[in-house]
Amino acid sequence: MNALYWWLTLAVLLFCIGAFGVLVRRNVIVVVMCLELMLNAVNIALVAISNFRAGALGAGTLFSLFIITLAAAEVTVGLAIVIANYRNRRTVQTDQYDELKG
Amino acid sequence: MPGGDFHPWLFFILAAWILICGLGVVAFKKVMYSAASMVACFLGVAFAYALLNAPLVAVVQILVYVGAISIVIIFAIMLTEVQDGGYDLFFNRQAVLAAPLAVAAAAVLTVVVVTADVGQIGDKALNPSVKGISLLLFKGYVFPFELVSLVLVAAMIGALVLARKEEEKS
Repeated sequence: MNALYWWLTLAVLLFCIGAFGVLVRRNVIVVVMCLELMLNAVNIALVAISNFRAGALGAGTLFSLFIITLAAAEVTVGLAIVIANYRNRRTVQTDQYDELKG
Repeated sequence: MPGGDFHPWLFFILAAWILICGLGVVAFKKVMYSAASMVACFLGVAFAYALLNAPLVAVVQILVYVGAISIVIIFAIMLTEVQDGGYDLFFNRQAVLAAPLAVAAAAVLTVVVVTADVGQIGDKALNPSVKGISLLLFKGYVFPFELVSLVLVAAMIGALVLARKEEEKS
């Protein structure tokens, strides 16, 4: 089996762990952390493909840099929303954000 | 076997490290332990980039993820940690459904990834040096680069506006 597939399998497993965390955790901050895990998994896949596939020539590496930048922006805004929400509701548990429930 | 200039076992140790730390993020009951586990996972991922011949991405990973993002997340934990306590459930009811779903998704994706035809691949490491990446970035991708800086400014202002205290309305 080619080296690339090992790295891609690692990325898939990390992605699924992150997705599982997003589905099951209650704490919003942990959900954000699991989102970061998913983004990291995608980055591993991009860098691995860029490393082993002829013709990509570093584009995957470049894209992972863009993704890291956007992840930083995402985390800033996301946690600002969490803190603003916490100020109003005094909670970070997802199942207690139920104002819109009729 | 994972190719490169390193012993193949290094890959498996690293993969186990990354996955166990990732599981720790999901499974730890205390949010602060989750955050510590996440930092360890990010360090492992940085090491993976180094093994994949992308030293620039490895350094950026340590700077941005291990340095900045973890600090922001730990700040958020400290600002919001619920003191009223008694909220012990850390999995919600979806865990029963989500666990088989995640395992099935992992299995399907692994099969797809391993059987996929990704074109010509060799065992040679092809990632360009830092010079090659910067040439690519500032020649072919200047517009996205500038766009990203705009996004960062927007995110910064947005975070400030969202997180600041509401002024007293008269």
